[in-house]
Amino acid sequence: MGACSLVKTGRVSLRESRIRILRRWPQTPRFEVCRFDDCPGLSDNPGLSDNPIQPCIGACPVEAIANRGGIVLIDRETCTACGACVGACPFGAILQDEEGLAWKCDFCGGTPACVPECVTAALTVREA
Amino acid sequence: MPGSMHDRIIRIDLTNRKVSEQPVDEELGSYLGGMGYGTKILVDEVPPGVDPLAPENLLVLTVGPLTGTMAPMHPQSCVVTKSPLSGTILNSYAGGFLGAEIKFAGIDGLVLAGRASEWVLLLVEDGRVSFHSAEAVMGLATGETEAYMKRLFGPDVRTLSIGRAGEKAVAMASVFSETRVFGRGGAGAVLGSKRVKGIAVRGTRGLEVARPEEFAALVRENMELIRKACAEEYNLVGMFSRVGTGAGMGLVNGRGGLATRNHEYGTFAGAAEIDGFAYAKNFYTRPIACFGCPVHCGMLHTFRRHDGSDSWLRGPEYETMYSLGSDVLNGDPVALAEANQVCEEYGMDTLTAGVAVAWALEMAEEGLLREPGLALSFGDREAILGLLHKMGEREGIGDLLAEGPKRAAERLAAQAGAGVLGRAMQIKNSGFAAWMPRRMKGTGLAFATSNRGACHKRAPIGAEITGQIDMGSTEGKAVLVKEIQDRVNAIFTLISCRFHEFVTPVEVYPRLVAAATGRCVSPAEFLRLGERIWNLERLFNLGAGLGRADDGLPERCYEPIKGESSEGAVFGREEFESMLDEYYEVRGWDREGVPTEAKLRELGLASYRGLAGR
Repeated sequence: MGACSLVKTGRVSLRESRIRILRRWPQTPRFEVCRFDDCPGLSDNPGLSDNPIQPCIGACPVEAIANRGGIVLIDRETCTACGACVGACPFGAILQDEEGLAWKCDFCGGTPACVPECVTAALTVREA
Repeated sequence: MPGSMHDRIIRIDLTNRKVSEQPVDEELGSYLGGMGYGTKILVDEVPPGVDPLAPENLLVLTVGPLTGTMAPMHPQSCVVTKSPLSGTILNSYAGGFLGAEIKFAGIDGLVLAGRASEWVLLLVEDGRVSFHSAEAVMGLATGETEAYMKRLFGPDVRTLSIGRAGEKAVAMASVFSETRVFGRGGAGAVLGSKRVKGIAVRGTRGLEVARPEEFAALVRENMELIRKACAEEYNLVGMFSRVGTGAGMGLVNGRGGLATRNHEYGTFAGAAEIDGFAYAKNFYTRPIACFGCPVHCGMLHTFRRHDGSDSWLRGPEYETMYSLGSDVLNGDPVALAEANQVCEEYGMDTLTAGVAVAWALEMAEEGLLREPGLALSFGDREAILGLLHKMGEREGIGDLLAEGPKRAAERLAAQAGAGVLGRAMQIKNSGFAAWMPRRMKGTGLAFATSNRGACHKRAPIGAEITGQIDMGSTEGKAVLVKEIQDRVNAIFTLISCRFHEFVTPVEVYPRLVAAATGRCVSPAEFLRLGERIWNLERLFNLGAGLGRADDGLPERCYEPIKGESSEGAVFGREEFESMLDEYYEVRGWDREGVPTEAKLRELGLASYRGLAGR
């Protein structure tokens, strides 16, 4: 979380981290972060049944969210701050900023800053 | 220039419910943070003779320049107050996530003064303080209190709390923070005397450092060192990373230094049942790390209690494996975990509580103490748990033990003779940590001269127990102990985890500070700061009425250790006293342990000379 916020905002700020960890002792912690292509697609998505997509993409009424080569990205210029994607995400990975605009992990363009920091290798990048 | 310190401390006057802001001036700033800030504020504002439980005592909660940054192994926060256990100035530390949260709240610490008219919970949100009724959580355990605060204030707050022991002014009451503990010295009783049941902190601001690139490079380099240590089989930090702090018990036992049966023996037959490897094998569930730490020495153990219920515990830590294990002849890992849980529920230091229990069991076996309903004998689960419960409740014999081993023994001595005093394994009323002065003489000197009593954080433990230096010799130990005390005091201004210094060269700290805060300190000045703080603490303790007689060992240390592997290790009385003389001399103190004027001038403390009152 520290590494994430440092890369994205220039400061250590856990509340601005794109990945969040919720402790639930003695169970394993829950990670709130985008799973990208591991996220269950919507098989009944009209017109796209052969091309499963992430729930947030289907939920966005203005097509601000797209899966670009396995990385789900939000176009914040297009986002209308409706919050539909937040509820659609099964992993709690999408947050809204003070203006309501959605933001989430962008995979750091392919080499996520969090992964090398994780000493227990709980975080990995899996080849598509 | 942005830096990792905010130069802003929040002061809370509980008596008048007034909150004010204290800017950090250049003089306080030169103490860097953490223990430095706490000591300076306390010594400047609290008369040494004050009753620790009076409203005039302060409780200072601080963080350091590396807290909340990406520097690994800097999660801790620090409490400084006058101890109701030892009557000395106290500094106590807890890991977890509270330290970083305080930093993210835009402050460098809190100063609590006075006494609330009603029991309160405090919420500190980005530096704003609000008062809330603690009525609903009075009498509740630390974990329950913290869960309540998270329900009341939101799940994202970080918390600290006291249990019933803190409410009832039990002298070894601790402050808990999400299973991490400000363990030693009774800070929980001070918080209780102020009628503060818990504090929740929410920080939503980010933290910047003064020189980001330089800092990032230093952090990368330091992280590499730590990861390398974690990967090494026989590296202590590596063993902590894999097994937890209980990893070393076999080694200590093998060298006849595992305090057993109230420090009578140096070996424990049941050690293999209760050491870190035994817990790892039978109860290990997952590691728990503090903020940003690659070592994750906290081990979560799940187990079935003797009543058949399933339960979990983060721990026990090594020191508890001794105090509620070998020292009370308890070789049952479940009973040990249960005893640890009782301390967690009531909010008590497992070390001093265990030492008090061990002393009580020995006294009972000699027919000098009894408690209706409890068959007091070593190794008896019911007796150990029962005594801890009674201490937490201040019931029956527990009321006596709740005063700490020294004061309890002094009271018993009035009827049973002075012999019982020498069986209370304490220094300044603070229970021995898990090490035997007779076996490890440098560590013995460190225990005796510690400003907070029987302290294991500033002792040459690693060097002695691993055989790097001859543990039975006194030669060169006075110099060594002084150096360690000063060095650890210095790194505790940054609140580095004690284990961080095991793998990090001391020169690195000033470089990290400079990159984080922009404040330049040379390595020599950094160590000198540690020495200055040590002397400031000493002056306070002298002013509180302590002196050379309080830097002594209990009588048992002058009798040979029993048991195989200990080889009858013993301290000669003269041997110890001459070691103490040498130590005072190395420190630049007179034969009574009072810092000389020349030493105080050298350290820039001339204006504090009157503090000692002599």
